[in-house]
Amino acid sequence: MTDEFELDPRKRHACALDRRQVLLGTMAAGIGALAPLSGHAEGVDKSTLSIAFPVDVPTWDPNALSIPAIQNLYATVFDSPLRYSPDLKLSPRQITDWKWADDKATRLEMTLRDDVLFHDGSKMTMEDVKFSLSDRAKADKKLVVGGMFNTVADIEVTSPTRGVMQFNRPTPTAPIYLAFLCGYVVPKAYMLQVGPEGFNAKPIGAGPYRMVEHQRGSRIVLEAFDKYWGGVPTIKQVTFEIAPEASARVALVESGRAGFASQLPVREVQRLAQKAGLVTKIYPFSEVYMLRIPNYVPPMDNDHVRAAMHLAIDTQALSKAFYAGVAKPLSVMAPEGTPSNVPDFKFPYDKAKAIAELKQAGYGPDKPVSFTLLSTNGTFPNDYDMARAIAQMWKAVGINVTIEETTSAKLLDAAQNGKLAGPVLYSWANATGDPENYAGRIFDPRLRFSTWKDMSLSGRIDKLMTEVNEQERIAGYKALNVESSEKSWAIPLLQGITAVAYSSALQPTLFDNGYVLPVEMKYR
Amino acid sequence: MLQVISAIVVRRLLLAVPTLWLLSLVVFFVLRILPVDPLGMLLPASATPADAAALRQQLGFDKPIPQQFLIWLWAAINGNLGTSLNFRQPVSQLMMAALPATLELSLVGLVLALLISIPGGVLAFVLYQKKREAAADLTVALMQSIPSFLWSLLLIAAFGVLWPVLPFSGRIAPDITLPGLTGFALLDLLLTGQFSGLLSALAHLVLPALALALGFAPLVIRVLRSSLIEAANEPYVEVARLRGLSESRILWRHILKNAALPTITMIGVQFGFLFGAALLVEMIFGYPGIGNLMVQAVKGNDLPLIQGIALIFCVLMLAITVIVDVLYAVLNPRMRNL
Repeated sequence: MTDEFELDPRKRHACALDRRQVLLGTMAAGIGALAPLSGHAEGVDKSTLSIAFPVDVPTWDPNALSIPAIQNLYATVFDSPLRYSPDLKLSPRQITDWKWADDKATRLEMTLRDDVLFHDGSKMTMEDVKFSLSDRAKADKKLVVGGMFNTVADIEVTSPTRGVMQFNRPTPTAPIYLAFLCGYVVPKAYMLQVGPEGFNAKPIGAGPYRMVEHQRGSRIVLEAFDKYWGGVPTIKQVTFEIAPEASARVALVESGRAGFASQLPVREVQRLAQKAGLVTKIYPFSEVYMLRIPNYVPPMDNDHVRAAMHLAIDTQALSKAFYAGVAKPLSVMAPEGTPSNVPDFKFPYDKAKAIAELKQAGYGPDKPVSFTLLSTNGTFPNDYDMARAIAQMWKAVGINVTIEETTSAKLLDAAQNGKLAGPVLYSWANATGDPENYAGRIFDPRLRFSTWKDMSLSGRIDKLMTEVNEQERIAGYKALNVESSEKSWAIPLLQGITAVAYSSALQPTLFDNGYVLPVEMKYR
Repeated sequence: MLQVISAIVVRRLLLAVPTLWLLSLVVFFVLRILPVDPLGMLLPASATPADAAALRQQLGFDKPIPQQFLIWLWAAINGNLGTSLNFRQPVSQLMMAALPATLELSLVGLVLALLISIPGGVLAFVLYQKKREAAADLTVALMQSIPSFLWSLLLIAAFGVLWPVLPFSGRIAPDITLPGLTGFALLDLLLTGQFSGLLSALAHLVLPALALALGFAPLVIRVLRSSLIEAANEPYVEVARLRGLSESRILWRHILKNAALPTITMIGVQFGFLFGAALLVEMIFGYPGIGNLMVQAVKGNDLPLIQGIALIFCVLMLAITVIVDVLYAVLNPRMRNL
């Protein structure tokens, strides 16, 4: 049970106040009393929950954009055909069964639950699935769903609850996209009736919560859907308080105005851990922090320089300094526990070897190699600080870097135009944990944001993407992971971490892909 | 008087047309040559450069920039500011939904700033060349060194966390729905008689408006103090003293009235400061205004939306200039003949 006394800082500090503070406080309290003080009440009222959340939903068309950070909200309002379990296992959701109808992975048979209702009471059928994942993508190229399902030729509807997804080339990983970005089912009839703009204004999904109010940039109010196929959620009203500023999220949860706050700074979470009535967690999830390397920028084309860069980084120290030691050091582009992780392979931290590699390239402490290191500032926790620490580690072996602060948008533009000034400190999100969305995308030289432009990798990646034998597919990605790490085509650093704080009255389920789903939360 | 005001308004409106055109042109070109990719989030991870080129063509970003500008300008003249890339909604619709919140916040912020700065400026003047002048100067300097976004965090820490007496997220309590008549929450709630909602909206306004006010007030205090010192040295003040008027009467009736003119001009010129500060303040307080929208637009490289918001800011600034000119003419008889 939550201890209300402990949660209320007013009571703890009242006796330490002087007369002026009391006067000021009384004035403020007078004004504050005008408003219903929902703060702590929300923490203990078991029918409501406020979540301090950093990102707003730009559009309620879930097929339109592929922003990883808002998938929680889409999954809450629309649910998803399949979903990753907290430990990243692909699990049934709206679709109960899926299996390949051929041995080439070009025909995927799917069975839809027969009790899925949209928020307007209409039943979800395979026609809605076909409309959302195939027809819409073909009709409007601006919808990202087309890119996510780019090998879908058609969806053959065989009955209201059965269908066959047909692909124009072997797509063995297709099921993972039914639990990933943009793969949500919208009601065909309603969408056609109101159009995308009308849908955006008043979205209808089939998720556990329906959207009742959206104040852009401020708040999203959701209400439990009483006909949800998975049963009515225990928390009846959920409010996402949009607070892009981390300090505001901290304040919301610390004051009890939010029952749960996500993506908090590590140091703040360590401080909040001392507060009674709050539970904090810093945990690794399926994101990867890494250095992406543009091989077209000298001296990144030099194998020895890259090897020295890689060998000189003490990832364990980075984890301890910036992520409370929770972020696990990585030797390959796949976190521990994901299919293509290679536990036996360890890339060493070895300063002497780094100096030796640099010497082979003609550089050393007396003749340092210089280049630019690009880093965002605030895109993921302690990104810029980590870049500075890496710069110091490199300096110790004879690598001088100038850190250039940049933004994700600038990086995309520069990568697409082949104009990156140097290696990039980057965070790679992948809610599926599948290697196709790690190495398969990171090293595909044809993609617009790729940095390692080695065209000879295209064929190898194509083969992996169409490989129907799962064991061989994973073995292929493991080999690619090891080779890319040994040759430092990119430098894996740490598994990403996320930090949350919540009321001790709450029992949330934390997902390994970082999802925050109200339907998986309950009060003690 | 009406003739003078009309002349000012007409003159300003005539100037507004080339100003708006020039600003649109500059903003449009600057946004297009920035090294950022507006298609950033519009394409999936699997997109190739060919996919990006196709989408760029579909959105018209492949055309020469002057041609893009002319297309945009013609549409804007016809009331169409384009569609937001990220929100997938008409830019004008998004702005009209957010603008009242910002105006309301800025106006309340301005009122609070005046409530702080007028007595503050007078007090600083009264303490001029007195023992406590240094303390007053230091206080103002300290206030001036804290920007509005920092005030926001300090106020949240004080009245949201340490002393949790005021809400600091959103525009109203989650269980109350805004009527949405004019978009101005206070007015709408008053008109519909929802007094508990009105109190909630007021409580939600206090901290963000105060953060804006505390960032703005020191400027006004300094200018008002200087103007008061200057006005106090005018011969009419000595004449007033010789007439036997009390010091407070001279101050409030004569000096302050004359010192108000440069202060009003400064407030008008600096009112844009409030809008600028609102950008971060709205984001911190989760206030659904135009500043918050701008931050989201910039983050998403939403060029049509950034362009639209820049335009609306310019229109607001021009409107404020007209109001200041009119006020100046009303308060200063000498201006009426210009």
